[in-house]
Amino acid sequence: MKKFILLAFMVVLSVAMAACGKDSDQAGKADADFPKKPITLIVPWSAGGGTDTGARLLQPYLEDELGVTVNVVNKTGGGGWVGWNELANAKSDGYTIGLANSPHIITGYMNPTLKRDKSLDDFVGLGMHVIDPDIIAIRKDENRFSTIEELVAYAKDNKLTVTATGEGTDEHLVILSFNKKYGTQLEAVHFDGAAESRAAVLGGHVDLLVANAGEVLSLYKDKEIKVLGVAASKRSEFMEDVPTFEESGFEIYQESSRGLIAPKGLDPEVLAKLQSALEKAVTNEEHIQKMADLGYGVNYENGEDYMDILKKDEEAVIDLKDLLGW
Amino acid sequence: MDTSIILQIVANLFTVQTLIALFVGVVGGIVIGALPGLSSTMAVALLVPITFGMEPVAGLVMLTAIYTSATYGGSLASILLHTPGTPASAATALDGYQLTQKGMAARAIGISTVSSMIGGFISGVALLFLAPPLAKLSLMFSAPEYFLLAIFGLTIIGSLSGASMVKGLASGVLGLLIGTIGIDIITGFPRYTFGNVSLESGISLVPALIGLFSLSQVFIMLEKKDGAKKEVVKQKLTKLLPNRADMKKTLPTILRSSGLGVLVGILPGAGGDVGSWVGYNEAKRFSKNKEEFGKGSIEGIAGSEAANNAVTGGALIPLMTLGIPGSSTTAVLLGGLMIQGLVPGNELFTANATISYAVIIGFIVANILMGIVGLFGAKYFIKALKVPPNILITVIIILCVLGSYAINNSMFDVYMMLFFGVLGYLMRKTGFSTAPVILGMILGPIAEKGLGQSLVMGQGHLVEFFFSRPISVVFMILIILALLSPFVLKLIQKRRRTVV
Repeated sequence: MKKFILLAFMVVLSVAMAACGKDSDQAGKADADFPKKPITLIVPWSAGGGTDTGARLLQPYLEDELGVTVNVVNKTGGGGWVGWNELANAKSDGYTIGLANSPHIITGYMNPTLKRDKSLDDFVGLGMHVIDPDIIAIRKDENRFSTIEELVAYAKDNKLTVTATGEGTDEHLVILSFNKKYGTQLEAVHFDGAAESRAAVLGGHVDLLVANAGEVLSLYKDKEIKVLGVAASKRSEFMEDVPTFEESGFEIYQESSRGLIAPKGLDPEVLAKLQSALEKAVTNEEHIQKMADLGYGVNYENGEDYMDILKKDEEAVIDLKDLLGW
Repeated sequence: MDTSIILQIVANLFTVQTLIALFVGVVGGIVIGALPGLSSTMAVALLVPITFGMEPVAGLVMLTAIYTSATYGGSLASILLHTPGTPASAATALDGYQLTQKGMAARAIGISTVSSMIGGFISGVALLFLAPPLAKLSLMFSAPEYFLLAIFGLTIIGSLSGASMVKGLASGVLGLLIGTIGIDIITGFPRYTFGNVSLESGISLVPALIGLFSLSQVFIMLEKKDGAKKEVVKQKLTKLLPNRADMKKTLPTILRSSGLGVLVGILPGAGGDVGSWVGYNEAKRFSKNKEEFGKGSIEGIAGSEAANNAVTGGALIPLMTLGIPGSSTTAVLLGGLMIQGLVPGNELFTANATISYAVIIGFIVANILMGIVGLFGAKYFIKALKVPPNILITVIIILCVLGSYAINNSMFDVYMMLFFGVLGYLMRKTGFSTAPVILGMILGPIAEKGLGQSLVMGQGHLVEFFFSRPISVVFMILIILALLSPFVLKLIQKRRRTVV
């Protein structure tokens, strides 16, 4: 009996292991009836976070367009680069695609101490999905300043602490840009994520909250915080009454964007199929509505334009290199 | 609240779908939690997509039920096999497994079940009635307090050290050193990563925990297998419900740990792993039977188990009121809330009050149901000990590999788990305790980050900054008391002896 159980166990195991093996025979060849098997979508952040939630909302619409299963796989670590490394090294047959976040993907290889051998050039853009501009907000009981003009005037003579989520993150770039262009004395306090940032400002431990608009939407609606400005060229559809920095006379533009990318070297036909499927999925009205309910502004751009936007993001980071000490 | 709302809440809660979801959540949570490596975070993450298609109340009740039940389930494997099912139940292994080896697994599971149930229940009640003030309290904690909380937590190492204080401290320092691996959040500099991208976010806690506790246990079990004598400890078939003496002994601990657990839970920077150690340590500090700890103390089990389940309800408080998750599992739960169109904040308790309160009451019911299922199921859980060692070992190894892979979908973590397994085995063979390593890995990064943030926040006046914050001052006093109290107690005892 014991032997039988062991034997059965071995059989099950070996079957399971066989099922895990990759079918690596049909390498990157042109594939007329692409796609014919499930596609892996690498999300380089953990399940339940903003990027992951957005990807999982998109997934069913992408599946409808492609006609195959799309598996969201979370590959976390290295500020996203564990996932992006794996994506860059994956076979470019269209069956492995991934989510990209800017500026994280860019600052990740611009930081010289990390010695990365990959860059934007290792990927091809499939299309942009979401854009979420950065905002600056203060507590509702802040009495030193109540507009962005007053804030900048105050911060020229006084030091203020500001939340950020790590070196070279979009929040950090906002802080550095203000310091560089307008002589403010903003000092970044780095937290693990927007949740801790919000708690630090609500509790009165840090002066200013810099975060993405989507991350503070409920606090804004509940009037727990006052949003002073949006770092975009047009107002956020979720905060119509908040002016852009540009309107207030400050040329600060910073957002965090998300889109889909694939390893370079895709067959043109496969690439075109993926791009058009993504366009239809992203621009689907129902999908846009669902994203808007969560405060995510859907912003479709095609693959080439998306890549151009990422290139511009790269230039912006290069501009701030000296302040980052890179 | 008028009666129509209450009726609406009851109607929301007692639908067939919700009740099934509740039951599935509790049973599924216990099973997933009991499997080493499959933590409550992963359980919730796996099931969030399934809840998309469900009614909001049913889906969310299921997720919160899984959260608390998985936290409880983790203790079962801890007690029976010395393989903590979740990081939050590592502290339970210290005394729980000792009791199993003495043939008192049933007693240990009984205490653990009742403590978890009470801890979870109390946290649910706190969530129902005290959410707004507790959320405010959580906002009073920031970087300096986290730094001091972590330092306070590190004083626990002294009491975990067992026979040799030097070895205990060395283990703790090893844990702290391991905790420095990865990109420093303040400067963005990679430390001890050797150019390996997988090391940039640090060594994950779960693979290390599985290696140090579970795999090392497998190695020790393998050793015994060679001796032809089957060393199966005969388990006394006591009643599972703790007897009156045990209840009387542990009730103060359960209540204290429940309170501590809720407090740790509401803090965004600390979750069940921290909570269980704090609960364990305070159980020991206040106990009249300190010498029993580490050798099978039911107070130790109660201390960590009531605390880690109390963390669950506590962690839901800032999540629901402010959208700030109080633990890593609730961060995943946030995704589940958002997908249902439920945005945390005032709206949750006004426009969506009938859903929110139904979920909270469902969570309280889940804790009670979890206790009942646990008490009925315990005699079957104990049967795991009757499984022949060769099969049990195989199963545990498979689960170790599976669990450490699944946390980040990374083979690198599996290698880490193997490394820590060998390390843990060698440590245990040479009289080093593995628990301080885990504690150092959990608390070291919290302390370091907190200090780094405090340095910026204090703008160059660090000492004044710390002393200007009331909660910081309280923590500093607690730390000094924790460090001095053993010496003072010894002195008093000596005096008494000389006087008498």
